[in-house]
Amino acid sequence: MMRLQAWLEERMPIARFVEAVRHKTVPQHRFSLWYFFGGMTLFFFFVQVVTGALLLLYYRPSASEAYESVAFVMTRVPFGWLVRSIHAWSANLMIAAAFAHLFSVVFLHAYRRPREVTWLSGVLVFFITFAFGFSGYLLPWNELAFFATRVGTDMAGAVPGIGEAVVHFMRGGKDVSGATLTRFFGVHVAILPALITALLAAHLLLIQHHGMSVPPSIEAAQRKHGRPLPAMPFIPHFALRDLFGWTVALALLAGLSAYFPWELGKKADIFAAAPAGIRPEWYFLWMFQALKYMPATVFGMSGELLVLVPVSVGALALTLLPFLDPDTPRSRRIVKTLAGLALALMTTMTVLALLEGSS
Amino acid sequence: MTRGFGLCLIMLAVGLATAGPSWAQIPSGTPSDLFRDDVHAQAGLTCDSCHGKATGGEYRSIARTEIAPLCSRCHSDAAYMRRFRPQLRVDQYAQYLTSTHGKRMSSGETRVATCSDCHGGHGIRPVQDARSPVAPPRVATTCARCHSDAARMSAFGHQDNPPADWGKSVHAKALLERGDTSAPTCSTCHGSHGAVPPGVTSVALICSQCHVREAELFRKSPKKALFESLGQAECLTCHSNHEIEAPADSWIGLKDPALCSTCHDDSVKGAADIVAVQEGLQRLSVGIDRAQRVLDRAEQAGMLVDEGRLVLRDAHERQILARVTVHAFAAKPFTETATPGVAEAARAEAIGTGALQELQFRRKGLAVATVLIVGFLVTLWVKIRRLPPIEP
Amino acid sequence: MSSDHSSGAGRKPPTPRRRDVLDWLLGTWGAGVVGAVFYPVLRFLAPPEIPESPTLTVSAGKASALLPNSGRLVPFGAEPAIVVRLAGGELRAFSGVCTHLSCTVQYRQDLHHIWCACHNGHYDLNGRNISGPPPRPLQPYDVNVQGDEIVISRKA
Repeated sequence: MMRLQAWLEERMPIARFVEAVRHKTVPQHRFSLWYFFGGMTLFFFFVQVVTGALLLLYYRPSASEAYESVAFVMTRVPFGWLVRSIHAWSANLMIAAAFAHLFSVVFLHAYRRPREVTWLSGVLVFFITFAFGFSGYLLPWNELAFFATRVGTDMAGAVPGIGEAVVHFMRGGKDVSGATLTRFFGVHVAILPALITALLAAHLLLIQHHGMSVPPSIEAAQRKHGRPLPAMPFIPHFALRDLFGWTVALALLAGLSAYFPWELGKKADIFAAAPAGIRPEWYFLWMFQALKYMPATVFGMSGELLVLVPVSVGALALTLLPFLDPDTPRSRRIVKTLAGLALALMTTMTVLALLEGSS
Repeated sequence: MTRGFGLCLIMLAVGLATAGPSWAQIPSGTPSDLFRDDVHAQAGLTCDSCHGKATGGEYRSIARTEIAPLCSRCHSDAAYMRRFRPQLRVDQYAQYLTSTHGKRMSSGETRVATCSDCHGGHGIRPVQDARSPVAPPRVATTCARCHSDAARMSAFGHQDNPPADWGKSVHAKALLERGDTSAPTCSTCHGSHGAVPPGVTSVALICSQCHVREAELFRKSPKKALFESLGQAECLTCHSNHEIEAPADSWIGLKDPALCSTCHDDSVKGAADIVAVQEGLQRLSVGIDRAQRVLDRAEQAGMLVDEGRLVLRDAHERQILARVTVHAFAAKPFTETATPGVAEAARAEAIGTGALQELQFRRKGLAVATVLIVGFLVTLWVKIRRLPPIEP
Repeated sequence: MSSDHSSGAGRKPPTPRRRDVLDWLLGTWGAGVVGAVFYPVLRFLAPPEIPESPTLTVSAGKASALLPNSGRLVPFGAEPAIVVRLAGGELRAFSGVCTHLSCTVQYRQDLHHIWCACHNGHYDLNGRNISGPPPRPLQPYDVNVQGDEIVISRKA
């Protein structure tokens, strides 16, 4: 073992990294539980990469074969049903974990100096995750996905001026068609993976470099009492706890796939009328529901803008958060309040949408 | 000159007097407008060809009793017609003379149909042209112009409304909604030029043009001789002639509202066969329904059901054939077809149930994986607890 | 009760024997979990019995078993297909679904062509509807022979 290590060390500069990991610690305080969510999101991402690669061996990205290939995976490939269901469930759980990770970072102010670039890379990864979800959803080419994509891409048309061009670009044409499918496939398996790999690598490296951020309130208490925070060694204490959480998540994925298998539904018919009750996946529902409450036109502009503009402004503010927050107790309180309001609004909209859908 | 003119006037008067009400023709647009689209105009004919030369700028109108003989001048001339359409038949007039319309018209009754009433007078199109009043989907509407007119038909002693009845039938649905031109309309059974109500004994021959197997079975069954001796129309007794609705399994039985119960009850011979057929149909229908539902559920859950669907297709076809064998009016031929059908439906259902059971099997597999995972988690938990404590 | 062994901070670490057992157990269960993950993955990777979705191509049985002037019905997805060997030996294949009311057609050796029992529809050996109610020809499929296996396929 030692000889192997020496052999590798002579050829690759791994000793530095091994030492860094061995000395890495995680501060322990009453908010430490939230440190696990980043790794959890990463775990679900790994699951997506592996199951996605497996699905790629059988999937065919054309309007005439996509649905049949997914049906083939689900019915004729051994454990194909499991791989596909896990891929679908893990996507949802990854987004849920990403939300938890994002909100915990906001509420615990981990975006403060010197972690601004870490934050930027993370926000971009967050947006890319949604793009993964949106593009991947269409790939089975079933009825629900087809119409959800049509509705979703329609929303981009509300942007004044360039809206139509944006929709045209997204759809690969005027309407959602086989061209859209091919385009979304390329985005989902090549373009987004390349982008997210680069950004994730930067994100993870920066986290190792800066260490774990301690929330301002804990830091203040520390200064008052003078005692340093207990530091949990990453190896083995934190890592084994991470492993525990990941194993629970794995069991959850398997259970969901066996008891709530992801359905395939009917093949998309581009000439058919939209069935009642079409709606996007839960992570888009809050926007979808908010749009429903808007009037068709307001002062000559599309009513949809009443939702799209605040959302876009919010997304921009989120991205630039470290630069907008001067990091005073008052500003941090404002950030927490705004974040709390946003969370409450999104949750309410989602719940309303779900209630409407089930009635 | 004046004599010729006078003659024309007289002929005009005669023509007008013997012409039927204008609505007997097909009204809309002036004759010269309509004639532009006429197939005869395309063949090079003119107004003169039928009306003769105009006198004083007026063409004489043709008496209703003269119309058919006028048309047949060309349409019964094989050598003449061969110049324009070699395949066109030339016996329409001969047929017309055998028809009820033709016989009455020959005896001077002008309130019956003649050539122009159905084909039009001036804008005549070929039968294959969808706009022709005698194109198959439009035949019933054309016949209905007289045969659905209660006032007109009561003069001939007819109370019923066959075109309206036909309009409610499965044949009308097939022809008008599905566009199935193999479905019969008035002229299919009655003939077009030789239109006559088919006699009671010949109805079966007409129905059996398409419903071959039912007719074969019926002819070999005890019902044929029985119906003949009773003077009962064969197919019509159960299926009616114009308002033919989709037959239902519930027609078979010994109690109201089953059709058989009109003549049969427990005591009449054949009761056992009726009950056997009724039960067989019921079992088939229920079996197919159940299989369909299970397969649908399995498919919704993402299971493969192609084989099940194929077997169910077979069962469904046996059901169709079993319903055909009802016309043998005996239990044996029916059960020979129905019993395998029930078995096939059961097999389809079993495939569906097996697919659903596979779902259960997956959950058991999950249990195994969960045991391994829980074992690992417990051990890991213990390991974590036994790690050296963190120095503050 | 010797005070030399008392230590101020925390419990004693587990004895080496207990630690070995624990690690061994951890390793075993861990191997079980890894196995439970790898087993489905490996099964997934191995090509399935029917390597492709049977919506475009399907095997139609042995060529040697299909005699001249005979036909065979085979499943093609969820619908039947009919394979016919002509008297001269040529193979032809069509959709087995009658274009009238979707009954399954059959080959009639006495008629030397395809027939539907439901309403007496007839199709010639090119699938064309020649008599009876069927309004359209049967959809033709491509036929190939690989070894002794007949393979029929349709366009996407």
